[in-house]
Amino acid sequence: MKRFQKNIKLYIGFAALALAASCKPSIDIDTKGGNPENVDFSKYIAVGNSLTSGYANSGLSLKGQEQSFPNMLAQEMKKVGGGEFLQPYFPAENYNGSGFLYLKALVNGQPQLGTVTDHLAIRGQTEDKKPLYIKYTGPINNLGVPGMRLDMAFAPGIGTTKGNPYFERLLPDNAPATTTYVDFATTKDHTFFSFSLGNNDVLGYATNGAVTTDATNTLISEQTFTVRYTEFITKLTSKEQKGVVATIPDVTAVPYFTTVTRQALLAGANAALLAQNPTATPFKDIYIKTKTAPFRAATDKDMFILPFSSAGLLGRQDLKDPATGIVNPAPYGLHPANPVGDNFVLDEAEAKMVQDRIVALNTTIKQVADSKKLAVADIYSFLNKVKSGYQINGIAISNKYITGNIFSLDGVHLTPMGYAIMANVFVDAINAKYSTKLGKVNVSQYGGVALP
Amino acid sequence: MKKLLFSILCASPSLLFAQGSQVNTQGVRALGMAGAGSALFTDETSIFYNPGGLAKMDHNAVSAGISTVMYRSAFKESGSNQVYNTRSQVTPPFSVFATFGPDNARWKAGLGVYTPYGGAVDWGDSWPGKYELNHLKLRAIYIQPTISYKLTDNLSVGAGFVYNIGMVDLARSLPLFLTDGSSAHAKLTGTGTGIGYNVGAHYNFDNNVAISLSYRSKVVTKLKKGDAEFTVPDAVAASFPDTKFSAELPLPASLNLGLSVPVSDKVDIVADGTFIQYNIYKKLVFDYADNTPLLQDTEQIKNYKNAFSGKVGVNYKANEKLAVRAGVGYVKTPVDKDYVYAETPDNDRIMGALGLSYAINDKFSLHAAYVLQKLKERTVTSPVTQIEGAYKTNIHAPSISFTYKW
Repeated sequence: MKRFQKNIKLYIGFAALALAASCKPSIDIDTKGGNPENVDFSKYIAVGNSLTSGYANSGLSLKGQEQSFPNMLAQEMKKVGGGEFLQPYFPAENYNGSGFLYLKALVNGQPQLGTVTDHLAIRGQTEDKKPLYIKYTGPINNLGVPGMRLDMAFAPGIGTTKGNPYFERLLPDNAPATTTYVDFATTKDHTFFSFSLGNNDVLGYATNGAVTTDATNTLISEQTFTVRYTEFITKLTSKEQKGVVATIPDVTAVPYFTTVTRQALLAGANAALLAQNPTATPFKDIYIKTKTAPFRAATDKDMFILPFSSAGLLGRQDLKDPATGIVNPAPYGLHPANPVGDNFVLDEAEAKMVQDRIVALNTTIKQVADSKKLAVADIYSFLNKVKSGYQINGIAISNKYITGNIFSLDGVHLTPMGYAIMANVFVDAINAKYSTKLGKVNVSQYGGVALP
Repeated sequence: MKKLLFSILCASPSLLFAQGSQVNTQGVRALGMAGAGSALFTDETSIFYNPGGLAKMDHNAVSAGISTVMYRSAFKESGSNQVYNTRSQVTPPFSVFATFGPDNARWKAGLGVYTPYGGAVDWGDSWPGKYELNHLKLRAIYIQPTISYKLTDNLSVGAGFVYNIGMVDLARSLPLFLTDGSSAHAKLTGTGTGIGYNVGAHYNFDNNVAISLSYRSKVVTKLKKGDAEFTVPDAVAASFPDTKFSAELPLPASLNLGLSVPVSDKVDIVADGTFIQYNIYKKLVFDYADNTPLLQDTEQIKNYKNAFSGKVGVNYKANEKLAVRAGVGYVKTPVDKDYVYAETPDNDRIMGALGLSYAINDKFSLHAAYVLQKLKERTVTSPVTQIEGAYKTNIHAPSISFTYKW
C-alpha cells in the first residue's frame, strides 16, 4: 500500500498518457490494392534538367535541392513501397551552392534583386573563368542537371570541365571524357523513373531572344528530338520499367517572357522623360531589331525577356554599337536608329515558331510515352492553367512575377510551392496511368518568393 | 516594369468561434450521465441546468469543479497519404456555484461562474489548411446571479441573469513568405462581453417523478477593440498595420426538457432533450479598424442549422456515501456540410459517460465524471481554402468537483 502511495504520481502519469494516446482519432489511409500493375518504386531515379535538380532563382542551393520536386515525389513513394532517394547535395557549409538571386528590396513596388555570394560550393574555375562546383560522386537518385538538353545528353565531353559544370560535378575525376549523360542516367539499375528533358532544347533558344550563339541556345529540330527522345526512353525502359515523362511548357506561360511588356517599358521611359521635362513629347514606340528588319516598332505581341529590364539599357545614349564599337547617341530602344537588340526580344514571328515547335515536340513526347506505357505529367497544360491564375489551398497563384507565388526570381524556374504543385501533377499522372495510390504532396508546406 | 504593381491578393484573416465544439461540463454529477439529469439533481448546479430547481434545495452549498477537455482532431486531405493531428490542447473549463438562502424559506438565491463554451484547436503551421487556421483558443465565462422560488411544494421556478465575458486567441498563416522560408501570419486576440438570461421550472410529482423545463437565451457577445497583429515581411508591413478589430458572435438559445423517473429506492433513470437554436448564427463579419488594399474586412458564411441533443442516464445510489452513474448521448451537429471550418470540424457526435459521487462526510462530497465524445468522420471541402479532406475528432473530458454544504 505504501509502495502504491509512493508511486501514485507515476500511476497517474501512466494513466494520463494512456488517455492522451487513446484521444487521438485515426483516419484510415487506404493504399491497399492500390498498385494493380505492381509498379516498383523501390529505386526511383529522376532524369532531367534544372527543374529536376531543384534549381531556382538562377541558381542551385542545398535548400533548393532539398525542395526539388523529385524529392517530394520520392517521399510520397516511400509511403507506398519506395526506397531511399539520394540527391547530390552540396556540403552543409557550402549551402548556397552556385549562388542565386534574392529579393533585396521593393522600391515603389519595383523589385530590386541581389546575388548571394557567400557559402558557395565553388571549387575552382574553368579556363574561360566559369565556376566549377564541389563534386558529389556517390550514388544518387536525382540525376537532374541544370542546363542539360536532350541533344547534349548524347554528346561526349559534356561531363568535362569544358562542358556542363553541374554534370561534371557528378562524375569522378577519372571519368572518361566521352561519358555521356544518357549513359550516366541509364546505368543506375532503376525500377522507376521520371524524365523531363527537352525544355532547354527549345527554351535555351527562346530565352536568348531566339539568337543562337553556342550549343546551349540552339533550337532542336523535330527530327533530332524524336530520334533522341525515343532512344533515351528506350534505354530507360529496357527492363520494362515504368515511369513518367513531362511535357515542355509554353514560352507564354513563364514570367521570363510575359513580365516586361512594351507598354510597361514605354510607361517607364515616359515617366522618366516627363520628370525631366514636363512638356516633352512622350515616346510612342519601342524599336526592336529582328531577323528580318534592321528596326521596327514593337507590338504587344513581341515579348521582351525579363533580364532586359534589370539590364537598364532602355533610353541609354552612351552604348556602343556591338558591330562597329562606336557610341550610338540615339536613345536605346526609343529611336529607330538604335533598336533593342534581337537577343532581348522574342518577337512575334519567333514566338510563333517556338510555340509551334513546343506543340510538335509535346506530341512526340506523348506518342513515345504511349508506346512505352508511361505516364505523362503534362506540365505544358499545367503552366497554361497557371497562366490564367487559380486558387490552391487558399493561395492565389498565377504566372505573375513574384506575386504569382509559382515562379522564382529568374522567371523560369519554380518556387518550392511551385515545385510542390508540379510534384502533384506527377502524382496525378502516375496514379491515373497505373491506378496507384501515391499520395499528394502538401503544398501548404512550401513557400513562394521570399520577401525582404 | 516600372509599373509592376506589387499587389498580393490574400484574404484577410477571419475569425470564428468554436460554437459547435460545445462541451458542457458545468455539473459533474450530470456529466456522469452524459449531461442528462436536469430533473434529478436539484442542487447548486441547477443554476446552470435549470434555475427553477434551485429552490428545491433543502440546504446551502458551494461547489467548485474543473474539467480537462482534450480535443484531438485529425485531418487527411483527399488524395494524400498523410494524416495531420491537432497538437494536444487542454482547455480547462471550470465552474463555481454557490447558493444563499435561509432555512425552510420558499426562495433561494445563487451565483454561478462557469464556462459554457470553449475549445482549443492547434493545427500548427504545416498542415494543408494553415492558410485557414493555425490555432484557435476560445473561452466564454458566464457570470450568472440567480433567484429561484417555490410556488408550491411540487413546483418551483427560477431565473438568472447572464453576463458573458468571451475571450479569443486565433492565428492563421498568410501566403507571404519571409526570408527564412516561413510564412507570414496573423494573430488576433480579444475580449468581448454579452448579456442574456436563463429561466426554468421544475416540477416533481408525488411519486418523485420529476420534470425540468428550462430556457437559456441567446447571448450576443460583442468583441470590440481586439488586437490584430501581423508578422509579415518588412516590404509589405505597411499593408498590414497592427490594428484593432471588432466582431459579433451570437451564442445560441436553447430549450431543455428533462425527466427523471425513480425505478427503485436506489435507481433513477433520467433523460434530457435539448433544442439549440443555432440558426441565428448566419455569418461572421470581421471588421478591421484600419483597412488597406491587402487587409479587408471579411464575411464568413456560417448558416448554422438548429441542433438537437438527447441524453439518457442512470444513477445508482450504492449506499449512503456512494452513488455511481452512467449515460449516453447523441448530438446532431448544427454545422452544415458546406460550412465546415477548421476550428470547428464538427459533425454528429455520440458520447458516453461514467461518474460517481462520494460523500466524504456530512459536509464534503466529491464528484468525478469522465466523458468521451466521438465525432463521426466527415469529408468536406473547406469554404476558405477549397481543400477537400476528412476530419475526425475525439473529445475526452475528465472532470472533478467538490461540494461543501451546510
